[in-house]
Amino acid sequence: MKENLRIPRRHFLVGAAGTAYAGALLGTGTGAAFAQDGDLPDYVAWKEPGAFIQHSANTLETMRGEIGSVVTPNDLLFVRNNLPSLTEEEAGEADAWEVSVEGVAEPRALTVAELKAMDIEQVASVLQCSGNGRGFFEHETSGSQWLTGAAGNVIWTGVPVASVVEALGGAVDGAQWMTGTGGENIPDGIDPLTVMVERSVPIASHQQAILAWELNGEPLPLAHGGPLRLVVPGYYGVNNIKHIKRLAFTEEESQANIQQSGYRVREVGESGAPDQPSMFDMSVKSWVTHPLMDASTGRVLISGVALGGTETLERIEVSTDGGASWSEARFTGPDLGPFAWRSFVIAADLSPGTHRIASRATTVSGATQPEEFSANHRGYGHNGWSDHGVDVTVS
Amino acid sequence: MKCFLRAFVFATAAMTVGAQAAEDSADNLGKQIFQEGSGEMPACSVCHTLSDAGGTGEIGPNLDDMMPDSDRVRVAVHDGVGVMPAYGEGLSAAEIDAVASYVSSVSRH
Repeated sequence: MKENLRIPRRHFLVGAAGTAYAGALLGTGTGAAFAQDGDLPDYVAWKEPGAFIQHSANTLETMRGEIGSVVTPNDLLFVRNNLPSLTEEEAGEADAWEVSVEGVAEPRALTVAELKAMDIEQVASVLQCSGNGRGFFEHETSGSQWLTGAAGNVIWTGVPVASVVEALGGAVDGAQWMTGTGGENIPDGIDPLTVMVERSVPIASHQQAILAWELNGEPLPLAHGGPLRLVVPGYYGVNNIKHIKRLAFTEEESQANIQQSGYRVREVGESGAPDQPSMFDMSVKSWVTHPLMDASTGRVLISGVALGGTETLERIEVSTDGGASWSEARFTGPDLGPFAWRSFVIAADLSPGTHRIASRATTVSGATQPEEFSANHRGYGHNGWSDHGVDVTVS
Repeated sequence: MKCFLRAFVFATAAMTVGAQAAEDSADNLGKQIFQEGSGEMPACSVCHTLSDAGGTGEIGPNLDDMMPDSDRVRVAVHDGVGVMPAYGEGLSAAEIDAVASYVSSVSRH
């Protein structure tokens, strides 16, 4: 089998093969990006060079074959920062970072050091941008034209929000939402509500949420929301508030633009509005990560990743004929819970020619990936198995 | 025939000059909106860096680095991107086109 994806990362863009591969994956939409061809921005200079498609300084997509299998390493994890990440100087000493907890019987500010002494939990969950897969839609969409790489499976360490709430006397009566506010700087000359990152999620989700200070066993990098991030397992990335400075239990949703009109699912051509579905919990999804272009005839191991969103997976199937027939693949590695993804593999004998390889995941409740995913204005939530398939040429 | 050709050349030249003038005018409008905003929309330079406009904002992408084409700017202004609000209802199509044309032309130099 030709190992397109094992080209040494540092040399990836040097060879013509790398260029062709990148071009094949990037599409040609209005937001088409180019494979990362220079130094990474300073704030993510520690990440693996050559493993990313750089849509902008604040949006780095992990290349399809680079996302890892069970857990995505920190240096390969995608980046999507709505606002620039805090600098070390702005963030200060990690343990001294404060979050103000409001909408509880005994509201108060807590430092990370205090949170660390309160309780601890570890949860594996998929971190995925709402727009992952946007580049597959045919209509013109604003925003990064992500294909598969705005996603990773990571392990967070932090304090359960439920423990914090309990320690502070419980949420106030009437609270319907858990609202997190990011600590990013907002410039003068603009109403903070227009650009601040503040999201509200249904209050029930606080039972699974944590305030995290570690990512895959390392201090949470600033680029991923350190020193402290609200993690709502099973929910799209935007709800996982970086540099969290305020956690409030509120009767109303946030009035910030990002909540009221941003991240709302609507028909193509419609404007965002509060009565439209918000990008909260994730849906079932999967995609093949190997092979992606070429293979030799004979036995081929087809592998990929599958997630259930907020549910445990029941099965994963793979097709090598564009969905005409399906075979059940085998999950590999440990089951890290309903919010994590699982890697899968199946062996296939492929004859010479081009094969359309696709995968289709199904959860225990029977939710399964559709063949096509209906278009929505901003290109959110794509989980259609057809577009996520790959053409592999066997010779 | 000569006269005809002369007239044709003159007319073509005039049309070219006219088109150029319209383009310059649109770019002037685009630059003005970028620097000053329009209606409810704040100046683009509050959030974006674009050297031609003297913009040094650091909230959104640095447009000198991003070098977006006009379609990318147009759809971003109209629909918003992430925390960037949608200005499709606050700006006219001509204003959005002017901003898109201006940003793409000066950032791609």
